[in-house]
Amino acid sequence: MKRLTIVISLLALLVGTAYAQTKIDFFEAFSGPRQQWIQDRANEWNKQNPNYEVVVTPKSSYRDTLNSAILAARQGNPPALVQIFEVGSQQAKDSGLFVPVGSIPGAFDTSDYIKPVLDYYTIDGTVNSIPFNSSNAVMYVNNALMTKAGLDPKNPPKTYSGIIKACDALRAAGDTTDSCITFALHSWFFEQWMAEQNAPMANNGNGRDGRATQVLLTSQPALNIVNWIKELNDKGYYTYTGKLEDWNGSEAIFLQGQSMFHIDSTSEVNTITKAGKDGGWIATTAELPIADGADRAGVVIGGASVWIMKGVPADVQQAARSFIEYMTNTDNMISWHKLTGYFPVRISSINKLDQAGWFRDNPNYAVAFNQLLQTKSSTATAGALMGPYPQIRTIIEEAIQKVLNGASVDSAMNQAEQLANQALQQYNSNF
Amino acid sequence: MREGTPVFRSRTTAWLLLVPTLVILVIFLYYPAAQSFVLSMYRSNLILGTRKFIGLDNFRELFTGLLAPMYRQVVLQSIVFSAAVVILGLAISMAFAMLANQKVTGARFYRLLLIWPFALSPAIAGTIFSFLFNPQVGAVNHFLRMTLGIAPRWLDNPILAFSLVVGAAIWKELGYNIVFYLAALQNIPGELNEAAAIDGANAWQRFRSVTLPLLSPMTFFLVFTNVAYAFFEVFGLIDILTKGGPVGPSALHLDNAGLTTTMIYRMYQDGFGGTGSLGFAGAQGVVLLFLVAGITVLQFRYGGRNVHYGGGS
Amino acid sequence: MATRTASARQRRPKTRWLIHLLLIVSCLVVTGPILFALIKATQPTTQVISASLIPGAQLWHNVSNAWVQADLGIYMRNSFIIAFAVTFGKTLFSLMAGMALVYFRIPFKPVVFGFILLTLMMPTQVLIVGLFDLVSKQAPPTWQALFSWIAHPLAPTPYGFNWSNSYWAIIVPFLASATGVFLFRQHFMSIPLSLADAAKIDGAGPLRFLMSILVPMSTNTIGALAVIQFVYVWNQYLWPLVIIRRTDRQVVQVGLNLIISQGQDTDWGLVMAGAIVALIPPLIVFMLLQEQFMRGFALSSEK
Repeated sequence: MKRLTIVISLLALLVGTAYAQTKIDFFEAFSGPRQQWIQDRANEWNKQNPNYEVVVTPKSSYRDTLNSAILAARQGNPPALVQIFEVGSQQAKDSGLFVPVGSIPGAFDTSDYIKPVLDYYTIDGTVNSIPFNSSNAVMYVNNALMTKAGLDPKNPPKTYSGIIKACDALRAAGDTTDSCITFALHSWFFEQWMAEQNAPMANNGNGRDGRATQVLLTSQPALNIVNWIKELNDKGYYTYTGKLEDWNGSEAIFLQGQSMFHIDSTSEVNTITKAGKDGGWIATTAELPIADGADRAGVVIGGASVWIMKGVPADVQQAARSFIEYMTNTDNMISWHKLTGYFPVRISSINKLDQAGWFRDNPNYAVAFNQLLQTKSSTATAGALMGPYPQIRTIIEEAIQKVLNGASVDSAMNQAEQLANQALQQYNSNF
Repeated sequence: MREGTPVFRSRTTAWLLLVPTLVILVIFLYYPAAQSFVLSMYRSNLILGTRKFIGLDNFRELFTGLLAPMYRQVVLQSIVFSAAVVILGLAISMAFAMLANQKVTGARFYRLLLIWPFALSPAIAGTIFSFLFNPQVGAVNHFLRMTLGIAPRWLDNPILAFSLVVGAAIWKELGYNIVFYLAALQNIPGELNEAAAIDGANAWQRFRSVTLPLLSPMTFFLVFTNVAYAFFEVFGLIDILTKGGPVGPSALHLDNAGLTTTMIYRMYQDGFGGTGSLGFAGAQGVVLLFLVAGITVLQFRYGGRNVHYGGGS
Repeated sequence: MATRTASARQRRPKTRWLIHLLLIVSCLVVTGPILFALIKATQPTTQVISASLIPGAQLWHNVSNAWVQADLGIYMRNSFIIAFAVTFGKTLFSLMAGMALVYFRIPFKPVVFGFILLTLMMPTQVLIVGLFDLVSKQAPPTWQALFSWIAHPLAPTPYGFNWSNSYWAIIVPFLASATGVFLFRQHFMSIPLSLADAAKIDGAGPLRFLMSILVPMSTNTIGALAVIQFVYVWNQYLWPLVIIRRTDRQVVQVGLNLIISQGQDTDWGLVMAGAIVALIPPLIVFMLLQEQFMRGFALSSEK
């Protein structure tokens, strides 16, 4: 690869004309410091590879990133690289617009990736995309409020009933914050709680043995989750901003000290830890609270991976993959992890961090990470594959929102299941 | 009649003058309108790039399928929303315009202050309101916390969110309505009011019997532009302020859709908001086209030769 | 009786103060939120989210930050290009069509006029579904493809203009206007015919007639239409949101939402600065053409 690059650059020099650099378009969903981090890696790589130029194009959301890439491709102008969220995987594969990373000429070594991450992005035995930002859900705890409630911040509740008891204690202590717990109204948490109970989201082996035809939203584990959210809400313990998937909104509530618990992605460890320290109330991370009596089967990988599109020249595909390999190499994954809290997806990065004592010195990062390592491999924790998963997410979120507004859990989840099944059936009828 | 005596004879020139307008109208209005009907009979998936003829299934889904309760609610709340925006908005605008039309010192200055937000956009209104009413850092809740010790969650509570969107939509349109009402008021001869006063009419009677009837052609015109505004233009405001949410109370069976989701917003969500079901969105587009046609027919029927003077195409 | 008349003409001071009070309240209602945005746009970041309503000195800082870092400058440039192109094109084409409809002999004139008027029933917002494919799909690769497309107008659009992410997508579909044609037609019909006849006797061709007689006599109508169209195009939101997917081509209305959702925490000072800046151009156009606007309107509403 390197030699090829040198030869090409020499040729370019010989020809002596201003050979335009070949552009490698990269659609990604981050903004702010995260986008800057990606841009920095692109600049570094561009400097080493003068014939190519990685052009980072930020999109406003995961959904928007996927849609924009598909549209661009259908208009004959596909970006080489696209960051696609985990639940978009099946659609990306079905669209036929992407090429599995492994099938691009040249070696692609998957042995360094941690297993749960690799499992998620392996469909029908092929690795389709390059793991990049991976996370799961953890609980953040406002230690000052815990102390105020007469609870031990070092020993946060681990179950649904434990959370409710802690909230009772906070109220009994005369607290006046808006709420006791906040998390974005996001189907992702529901999915995590299903996995913790070792319950699949869909039939046919969570959609991994064959196309899913049923979404399992009325199973007991599903009802456990929504019943708990309803109880929290009825007691006035839960709050959110009223918007679906409003990550920042819920985080803001917690950061302003208006809530004792906050469930969020591990990718916020850095932001929240810092804010807690600056605010003097100390934020710690804790295991995701789970349904009473559940076995703690583990969490599902969330986040996104990077896909390579068809319709770009073979050499650009190769260069694009080499850029992503560079962006996710051992050291870069370490800096990415420290910047955000996303897992380092490489075993080598983890070892290096471990040797440097990182997890010992930064327990907030360790809690999140251990949760992943302790996950038991099963169809439930591998995560579901469903074509219209993004749409089903909205259906689940709207069902929970109905419950928050007074609907009964049974009727809301029944209706959601019907809608989700219909979405699956309509999607599957394309094949 | 003058229609019969045009000045120029060259047909070529005539068509050359007409062609740009006609070509654009055919390609960018007639054709897409026809395509809305065509697409409404397909099931399409933006991401898979598939398109399958399914006849009237999309309409069945809208009116009798699993999503029918959702669509019924969306249609209902669009109508309630429009009615609120039009009635309250016009009443307030008319009152403000009549105040500004009084002969007091500084009237010109007041008038200027009242009409300059004419150019305000729904997106800007949504932006300002989303900060003003931000539950944590917004000025309104700062004020309420200091005075009453409360901090309502404006975007979380369905009733508050709906009222907020109605309020923001009315506010955005005030400048526009006042401009037109002022123009109409200034055309009303002052003697009429004085004559009525001499006849012993009090202020309310003068308003009822003189001003209101004279303003009615303008009110009529504004009703239609405001209906169009409430149905279509308000999209940007909703997209920024509430994104169509939150769902209404289940007790009132208003939990099948976000309470601030209007018909156009739902169409956008289905067609472009992630799922990319262009066909399903197309069916909603057809429903909206019939609605616009109905409103336009009403307008021409009862409006006589009133001028259509909206933004629009 | 006599006292009543007097009170109607010259109000008692009490009533006058009441009117002043009510006027001040109404002005506050109308301009209050904008004033609030303006004040917040002047405050430093730490103060913006506080309750303080005292203007700060950071207006320039906020505006320039929004302009450069949050891409406000790019959004404004895009909106300017589009708004000017559409306003100019639409006015010109409407003027031409209006002239053809009044001063030329055309077969089936009422049909042609009706055909134009009928598009009042087709607001672009409703058409986005049909318009989207047409504007964004790839152009037909061969002539045969083009012909087969035209031959089957009722099949789902197979090709398009390939204009997504380009200015064309938000300019061209808006260059024709039933409202504009209607306004000019009404206005031309109110111009005494003798003027046109005189021009013809002078030997003026249609172009000279348009430029030296019709345009000067239509400044009010042109002004009114320009205001409406400029404001309309400047404030467009839905269509650019759907068809433009690159930030460097996005218009300022959608851009505002992008600035809000940029980064972890919304920088409200920046956002308010953006809102104020985005409001200024249509405001200037309205203020400049306000007189023509009012007169152009009064004229046509008499019809």
